Amino acid sequence: MTAASSWKEKLRERMPESLSREIDIFETQIELRKAGKIGDKMFAETRLRKGVYGQRYDNGRRHDGEKTQTLEFPCGDLTKGPETVWDAPGMMRIKIPLGKVTPDQLDVMCELAEEYSDQILHVTTRQDIQLHFIHIDETPDLMRRLAAVGITTHEACGNSVRNVTACQYAGVCNEQTFDVTPYAHAAAMFLLGHDDVQDFGRKLKPAFSGCKDNPCGLTTFHDIGCIAQVREVDGKPKRGFEFYVGGGLGAVPHPAKLLEEFTPEEELLPMMQAVCRVFGRLGEKENRSRARLKFLVNKLGIEEFTRLVKEERTKLRPDKRWTAFLDDLTTLDEKPLKPGSELNAGGSERYKAWLNTNVRPQAQPGYSCAIVTLPLGDFTPDQGRAMSDIAREFTNCSLRFTVDQNMLFRWVSSGDLPELFARLDAVGLGQSGAETISDITSCPGTDTCKLGISSSRGLAGALRHHLSVASDVPAAAQSLHIKCSGCFNSCGQHHVADIGFLGVSRNVSGRRVPHFQLVVGGQWTENGKNYGLAIGAIPSKRVPQAVDRLTKAYAEGRREGENYRDYVGRVGKKTVRQLIDDLTQVPSYAEDPSFYSDWGDPREYTTGDMGVGECAGEIVPFVEMGLAASERELFEAQVILDEGNAPMAAERAYQAMLHAAKALTRERNANLGDDPDEIVREFKLHLCDTRLFHDPFVGDKFANFLFSAHGNGTTPSSSSTAHQRIEEAQLFVEAAHQCYIRNASPAS
Amino acid sequence: MDAPKLQVKLFSDNVDSSNLEKFIPVFHRWIRDHVLDELMIDVADYSHVHHGPGVVLVGHASDYYLDLSDGQPGLLYSRKRQAPEPGERLRDAFRRALNACRLLEADPTLNPRPKFRANEALIKLPDRLDFSNDDPGFDALKREFETFLGQLYAGGKVKLTRVGSNKSPLSVRVVTENAPDLTTLLNRVGGPINGSS
Repeated sequence: MTAASSWKEKLRERMPESLSREIDIFETQIELRKAGKIGDKMFAETRLRKGVYGQRYDNGRRHDGEKTQTLEFPCGDLTKGPETVWDAPGMMRIKIPLGKVTPDQLDVMCELAEEYSDQILHVTTRQDIQLHFIHIDETPDLMRRLAAVGITTHEACGNSVRNVTACQYAGVCNEQTFDVTPYAHAAAMFLLGHDDVQDFGRKLKPAFSGCKDNPCGLTTFHDIGCIAQVREVDGKPKRGFEFYVGGGLGAVPHPAKLLEEFTPEEELLPMMQAVCRVFGRLGEKENRSRARLKFLVNKLGIEEFTRLVKEERTKLRPDKRWTAFLDDLTTLDEKPLKPGSELNAGGSERYKAWLNTNVRPQAQPGYSCAIVTLPLGDFTPDQGRAMSDIAREFTNCSLRFTVDQNMLFRWVSSGDLPELFARLDAVGLGQSGAETISDITSCPGTDTCKLGISSSRGLAGALRHHLSVASDVPAAAQSLHIKCSGCFNSCGQHHVADIGFLGVSRNVSGRRVPHFQLVVGGQWTENGKNYGLAIGAIPSKRVPQAVDRLTKAYAEGRREGENYRDYVGRVGKKTVRQLIDDLTQVPSYAEDPSFYSDWGDPREYTTGDMGVGECAGEIVPFVEMGLAASERELFEAQVILDEGNAPMAAERAYQAMLHAAKALTRERNANLGDDPDEIVREFKLHLCDTRLFHDPFVGDKFANFLFSAHGNGTTPSSSSTAHQRIEEAQLFVEAAHQCYIRNASPAS
Repeated sequence: MDAPKLQVKLFSDNVDSSNLEKFIPVFHRWIRDHVLDELMIDVADYSHVHHGPGVVLVGHASDYYLDLSDGQPGLLYSRKRQAPEPGERLRDAFRRALNACRLLEADPTLNPRPKFRANEALIKLPDRLDFSNDDPGFDALKREFETFLGQLYAGGKVKLTRVGSNKSPLSVRVVTENAPDLTTLLNRVGGPINGSS
């Protein structure tokens, strides 16, 4: 038995004073909220900035497949944010800068998963750890236990600088320009809680990469992306960074723009600070769907944004922290436990398969990196403790979570690999296939996320099983990347996958059917350089079949050395679409009800009373026809863009939006004609002013895509603006489907 | 016992760890039909994780796992909050675990029906502030465990063994040679629990 009566008392001497104080304040805020002395909006942002996030059903309602039931939590009316019930379980995001974690830290996180969560630790696509089903009352103690091993959850969520991510191979990579670890770490520490990052309209995500070519840092779709560069200055090599801003995935993906070709190392932190200041001062605050840095950069233009940042830089008060870390860049260097050694041949077939996909040699001779494949990014406390023990015994170094939701051992003496594999395999972590087609990335989706539309984890799990067990994947397709997002917010990073999926839903004869929009031709390499475009929505249950066809066609039709993006570009999206065309059809409910529930969730996806009324029955076919026409128009826009006719592609995307708008509006105005001015005016009157078209989470964002395209008059002519118009039209059409579903079914 | 967080696991010899999906609709139905007398919220599927928590019926005060940890499938009941009075906690946890096993064994949609062993259990206390998995930690609770288990197994010989490393939560394996059936055990700790369905 321990003498301490609380974690606060027990860990008092082990927590840094500043963290301890922050957690005490948060605990007080919890009590104030319970006493009604803090408003729920204020409290919501407070807890978010501590990493305490909401989770599905935290509005106190849950659809059980037949009807919506109220979850009668004992807290009564007490909330922890708007529409967020106090007692409802939530998610705790643990910010792990660079994904770098010591064995002791990992052990503590395992304890937390056992004592406060559901026995699972989940690695995110931004190198964080998430624990689910946490009660807010327990979060202060959870934070104290993390603080005692040097981890803070501060600013893990909310309108703040989120986790600073970095290439997991930094320092041991054969292709890096230099090790970005000390720079990324310094940036994380410098920006944490900084005064200049407290007034954002939305979050800001930084990332570091040691090179331009590989995908580990993914700087292209981050708000701030820094790529290591060395230049010769005065005859000497000088370290610095290519400095990018305004990248982001989300509903409309934006590639980051180059702010500065070479930011010298001593200017890295002040430049980041200056970007934060400009973002805080000029970034959108009211319209949250336009508040990310990418929108500000687009609005101002990169030249003006750069000018403002550089002007701001001159106004900053000098700060010793800008360069203090440069005095000794080796403080974070890791010392291997054992001398390097040669890898011996032999071993079981299972070991050889693992060696082939999960191990790569380090830059340092005699050492290797070993990836632990974590299915869906999940592992148990027992597995976590096994990994920390292995790290202590084999490397004595930190482990790193990866953006592929895996774990990485570094500094493994290569001769130890057979034993390391055996140890991992003994706890079920010896699976091969890292970074192959079966190593699928997914966001939480409908499992736990409030915004999830379809079950991305369910799909990823089904695909994983299908591709590693049931299906015979052609060798040429083994290296493809598949990524799944549960909605358009893109947390699963589907835009940069060879084959990506994002969750959507469709209405079929009055019933709701889970679908995934297929996105092909994204580029994972070169830091996630290019984004794919949508091909069409496939019923969830037919996605594995679709993947089989796509991989087979690629394997058979590719040219020597041709990657998937180039292959898709060559054969055209129309050809890809033809491959899956028949799979987009949904059998009737009577024929196969399994299509009407999602992966891993037997509840009927649709509401029981949808499509029952005669009135709905008469109107539904017309609306569905119009929506289908808009989807066709949209697809054609993509094909036209592929053919190089950007103005025409943009025009067709606009027409797709008009089709969808007309389909919805005609329900309210039967005399509606074909004049675009009239359609837009009537659409605004009947669907926007009435807020019927408003998305529950992003408001009028999607409607504004139509108004913007309509108001522009002149057709955009560049490929990138046409691409963006198509993306926006895709979202508008999707919103039209959702609007139709919402208004056709009061229960939904 | 001053342990608000308490887990009891009852083992099964015929739950197929590679086919846990069939329990998912059962747990969803338990939520929908209020089969238990407590607030249940969601079902989490971790069947893809080796020796993991399997399929979890997540509730406000308690969770129910079709648990695969240590490679030994079983039903694990986990009290998280709103614990009964200290003297009632072990009895209540066993009652809820046994009740869940009874419901699963009787569920007509499960084929084959799962069978749970009455002669073996695991007690875990996931609270490292007050309970450490070492001999002193075990000794401090052993007598209380023995007293309760003596009543549960009606004086039958019970062997208690502390298991797991000292990094694990305090874990005690309970084995008895002459256990009655689950229904008898359930009746000894208060009988079946009926929800509002």
